[in-house]
Amino acid sequence: MMETHQLFKKNETYNGLYAMLLVNRLQMLYFFLIMPNILINPYMIWVLIAVGILSQLNLLLLSKWLLTRLSSNGYNGFVQLFGKKLVRFLSFIGLFFILLKLSVITLGFSEIVQTFILPTTDTNFLIFFILLLCFYVAGRGVEHTIRFVFISFFFTFWMITFFVFFFFPPIAHLSDLYPLIPMEWKVENWKAFFLILSSYSGSEFLVFLGPWLKTNNKTFHYLSYGNALTVVEYVFLFIASLFYFGSNFLSKTQYPLINMGRYFQNPLFERIDIMMLSFLLFNLVFAVSLFLLLFYGASKIAFGKMSKPSSVKGLLFSVFLIFIGMVLVNELFWKSWEKQNFLLNLQIIAGSISYFLVPLVIVLVMKKEGVKKHAST
Amino acid sequence: MRLHKRVCKRLILLFMTFWLSGCAPFTENNLIEEISPVTFLSISKGDKGKLKVSTIMPPLSKENKFVMTQEVNLLKEGVQKYNLNSYQEIKSGQMRMLVISDELGKDGIMSIINVLLTDPDISPRIYLVIAKGNFDEYLESQLDKDENFDYSFYRMLKHYEKKNQGELTVVNLHEFKNFLYTPYSDPFLPVFKIEEDGVNYEGTALFQDDKLVETISSLDDRIFQLINNDHYLVVLPIQKFEIVLGHVRSKIIVDIDSSYSTMTYTVNIDTRIEEYRGEKQLFDPKQLENMKKDIETHLEKQTHELVKKMQELKVDPLQLGIQTKKPFSKPMEEKKWIEMFEKMDIKIKYNINIDPLTDANSKRQNL
Repeated sequence: MMETHQLFKKNETYNGLYAMLLVNRLQMLYFFLIMPNILINPYMIWVLIAVGILSQLNLLLLSKWLLTRLSSNGYNGFVQLFGKKLVRFLSFIGLFFILLKLSVITLGFSEIVQTFILPTTDTNFLIFFILLLCFYVAGRGVEHTIRFVFISFFFTFWMITFFVFFFFPPIAHLSDLYPLIPMEWKVENWKAFFLILSSYSGSEFLVFLGPWLKTNNKTFHYLSYGNALTVVEYVFLFIASLFYFGSNFLSKTQYPLINMGRYFQNPLFERIDIMMLSFLLFNLVFAVSLFLLLFYGASKIAFGKMSKPSSVKGLLFSVFLIFIGMVLVNELFWKSWEKQNFLLNLQIIAGSISYFLVPLVIVLVMKKEGVKKHAST
Repeated sequence: MRLHKRVCKRLILLFMTFWLSGCAPFTENNLIEEISPVTFLSISKGDKGKLKVSTIMPPLSKENKFVMTQEVNLLKEGVQKYNLNSYQEIKSGQMRMLVISDELGKDGIMSIINVLLTDPDISPRIYLVIAKGNFDEYLESQLDKDENFDYSFYRMLKHYEKKNQGELTVVNLHEFKNFLYTPYSDPFLPVFKIEEDGVNYEGTALFQDDKLVETISSLDDRIFQLINNDHYLVVLPIQKFEIVLGHVRSKIIVDIDSSYSTMTYTVNIDTRIEEYRGEKQLFDPKQLENMKKDIETHLEKQTHELVKKMQELKVDPLQLGIQTKKPFSKPMEEKKWIEMFEKMDIKIKYNINIDPLTDANSKRQNL
């Protein structure tokens, strides 16, 4: 059995519901936890919604690609579209994007876990454990990893209901939401704009999941539902944090949403924030596992090893490399505040670029090559 | 081949178990017998700018409780000093209250507040309390009489915290910090006075930024509860008219004119008479009306003085400045607001609605 184990084999295809959850959970990663303290001003609510609508356009392009026959062919489809050499080159660049995203979300989460749950534990150990878990999930293959999104969703989504409490007095004050429109537009607001765009990114990786997704006329609808859900979550959490902190206090809190979690009270279990964080890790594990598989796949393409069958051992090797890389990044960048900011900014830019360009380029090339969507069922 | 794999797997599992327990990366000790969770810290001024930090040590075993006091430069040093001398390590995860002496409050408490907020173990729900008098001494004397003094004190605060419980100011760490950082508002805290018979609620301490500037008590504090904190009082005794109003609920309407020069502060009150020892015939609608007028003018005068005091001190615990915030205009600077607030002409208006008396009145003539 083990010998024929294929990480990228395709037995099943998943319907639109999975596509929706994939979009939503890939957008709700590390950045939503730190987002409120960068947005600060109440009028950013409109920017959140506007960028959400912009993201809708990207999803439209994405669904156009998913509806073609090429997308369900996976690697061969890309080769038909771009040619072998270009695909190799692009996947080489893609490795950098995946590695950056992986590092930022994993290091971010492990730092949060260290701050709030295990203050004396070295973050390198946490990274090790997280990657160990993710290797287990990813080792089951793409199919199981995609299916894991259901678990990830049901373990994390309900948490948003807790934040309803902040919408009611005594802490809430309606004037915390004033002014509703921007009176001046500063440089920081542009940073916030790109942060939001980067937070909405993640769904562009669905480009590579074409073979596993069952696509039809409704695919775009499902992708939009996922995106709309994200917009609702973002706006809801942002307003809740404005009510809880007020604009001025908000900018001084590093992890606003988790600090809000600390305010919840329960006579049985006092540190509700610990519980919430642990559940959030499900989401992290899902995303990281998916990215690990993508990384492994992309590195196979980049180094011209497509003829060799994929194996768990190969995956383990790439996870090991990623672990080493992450420990290095952790030591060199993440632990000092200014350098961490640099890395965050890099991810903000990289996320924005990849989310903006990937669907656009693919659709443009499709137009040029005259690829049409296949007859939908 | 299969067997080989299974053995291999088990070996890996065994290795992991040993590895995890042997060189576990988790170094913090939370063994229940070896820690001492504290429920509160009391901080006062020590000699030469030092801080005096005290708490009751509640060992979990049946040892006697005692008061731990340390004089230190920095707050957390107190905890560390104790830990150097005892096998029971102090843990702050169960902290419920922070008692700050009023002298220290006058110097400013920002640094202390920051210490608490940065510690993830300490909940933002812990209560902040200002104590007048020597709290440590009181603790020492109280240990024999009331073993669970700290716990009952916490329960009292918790009881009165819920909205519309009325009576006294209760502020937690988050609320304090929120008031501190929100423009156009200033924080306030409850003040408890140490007397021979116990710890008694005295009133509300008003803060300008993080510095205590004034304590308001008796009728002023009642009014403060009524118009700001709870909007509810179980009883409101007014000695001047020998009357006690009960179940007082207030609704506030604030109106600032467009030039920001006058503010009309209207307090609508619903209440009923609980007790009366005066000479007036309150069954007579006319006399009741007179009484109402008297109370209204009396409260108006008192409230006006209270607000005037706030204007002089340049503090705004009533968050009046928030009224200037508009959804579609740029908020004014806080400094500008305080300057305007200082000069503002404030008109206080009370509208009292007293339920007519229905039952028992021995002095009623026509029956």
